[in-house]
Amino acid sequence: MSAASVRADDSSADPALPDPDPQRLVDSSLSYYHENGRIMAVEPVVNLSADFGNDETLGINVTFDSLSGSTPNGAIPSTKPQTFATPSGHNLSGVPQTYTTPSGTLGTVTSPIYTTLPGQLPMDPNYQDQRLSISSSYQKPLSRLMRVTMGGDVSYEHDFLSTSVNGALARDYNDKNTTLSVAGNAEFDLVHPIGGSPVPLSDYTLFDKVGNHTKHDLNLIFGLTQVMARRWLSSANLSVDRFSGYLNDPYKIISVVDSGGNVTGYLYENRPNNRTRASAFWENRFGLSRTMIGVSLRYMADDWGIRSDTAQLRLRWWNSDHNKYVEPQLRWYKQTQANFYTPWLTSMTVPSTFASADERLGAFHALTWGLKYAFQYGGDADVGPSELSVRAEYYTQVADNRLPGPGVLQGLDLYPGLQAILCQVEWKFGY
Amino acid sequence: MTRRLMLAAALLLGAALLSGCSHLGVKPWQRDVLARPDMQLGDEALGQALDDHLYFSKEASSGGRSFAGGGCGCN
Repeated sequence: MSAASVRADDSSADPALPDPDPQRLVDSSLSYYHENGRIMAVEPVVNLSADFGNDETLGINVTFDSLSGSTPNGAIPSTKPQTFATPSGHNLSGVPQTYTTPSGTLGTVTSPIYTTLPGQLPMDPNYQDQRLSISSSYQKPLSRLMRVTMGGDVSYEHDFLSTSVNGALARDYNDKNTTLSVAGNAEFDLVHPIGGSPVPLSDYTLFDKVGNHTKHDLNLIFGLTQVMARRWLSSANLSVDRFSGYLNDPYKIISVVDSGGNVTGYLYENRPNNRTRASAFWENRFGLSRTMIGVSLRYMADDWGIRSDTAQLRLRWWNSDHNKYVEPQLRWYKQTQANFYTPWLTSMTVPSTFASADERLGAFHALTWGLKYAFQYGGDADVGPSELSVRAEYYTQVADNRLPGPGVLQGLDLYPGLQAILCQVEWKFGY
Repeated sequence: MTRRLMLAAALLLGAALLSGCSHLGVKPWQRDVLARPDMQLGDEALGQALDDHLYFSKEASSGGRSFAGGGCGCN
């Protein structure tokens, strides 16, 4: 996924300052992400922007991701070895099978399988993906107090294609101390999972899969930004998302267990085809002489029953020359579970409607600790200083509402949680 | 707690808007601090995008600050 290229409330640029000559800025970064025992990702990003003055800007962003490693398939640990096929597989035998090609010749294929040891969380160890995303945005003034922003995004993975367009309108009031904005985004996605889309709630061992699917997202954001005082900027957003179409994760399954805790089979998950989500976001920035304090809060609710709270704190400490800074960051997040989330099914509770064991739809809380160091150099009257920075984050996720497993599952860790590190090197320079 | 703070924010900003913000804000010559790069919303676009990518892939919530989309998060 990529972040939006349009902000609904980007009004804090000081209109009183003279616009510099048209200048170009290159913002580039290289990131490394690694989960404990799971996936790792490398992500180079280049963002080019040109500021033509008078609120007219153009930006282009190119992002590439390369992911590999292990990813949970949704099943729970068991006291016995468990064998699964990778998404491209068609059986669990591991035996080569003969097939006929469209041209009539015979071929053989071996379904890649993997076995999870007793007590271990089942994970597909062969996960690989690459993503290329290109986005752009253009902002221009409509009048002295009003500006419009338009943008678009194309993101391609070998099993997913996403396209979106967005636009925003912002108007200043009260000597440009108040800005109201409205922004909209329309996204169209094509989902073509490896091996096909499994039939929802079908038996995993049947490998009953069909073709491609689509999904859509419409998003509206209403924003208000207010200069509260000389050192205090406040901004609030209300947003509504409407997702529709294929919202399943095609690679996630659910374990079915008997009353003794023995795994008797697996089903593919099934989520509703629609989701409406609303969120409120509030950000404040306080500028002291050598310190910036940023505090943001977000509350989100959707019609899947998920509620989440997020709080984030950033502190930026500048040195006395104002050319180096250290920025610690802390983020706290908590969500409730979707009303169809279930870590496993028993043979007596196989649903006829919706069910998912995706841990991302379960109840959990998460903490992020981050630290950034940056130094600036160069710069003149026309071009601002360049900046080189390094940043590291540590993310932990801990499950809430831990149901004890039945029978033999009681001694197993069914909720292992997640720990991840993220490192980023970023270089910004103008010319 | 967050919900109460959100309500407080809505009331605060709503009151500011309804009152014409006559008592809020600054004069143009008082914008020295607000003009600093670290006081610009979205000043850390790449870092924020990277974090949003992480949270989009690992949590059920995304967006709020800006749009979120363009990916399956299937990992």
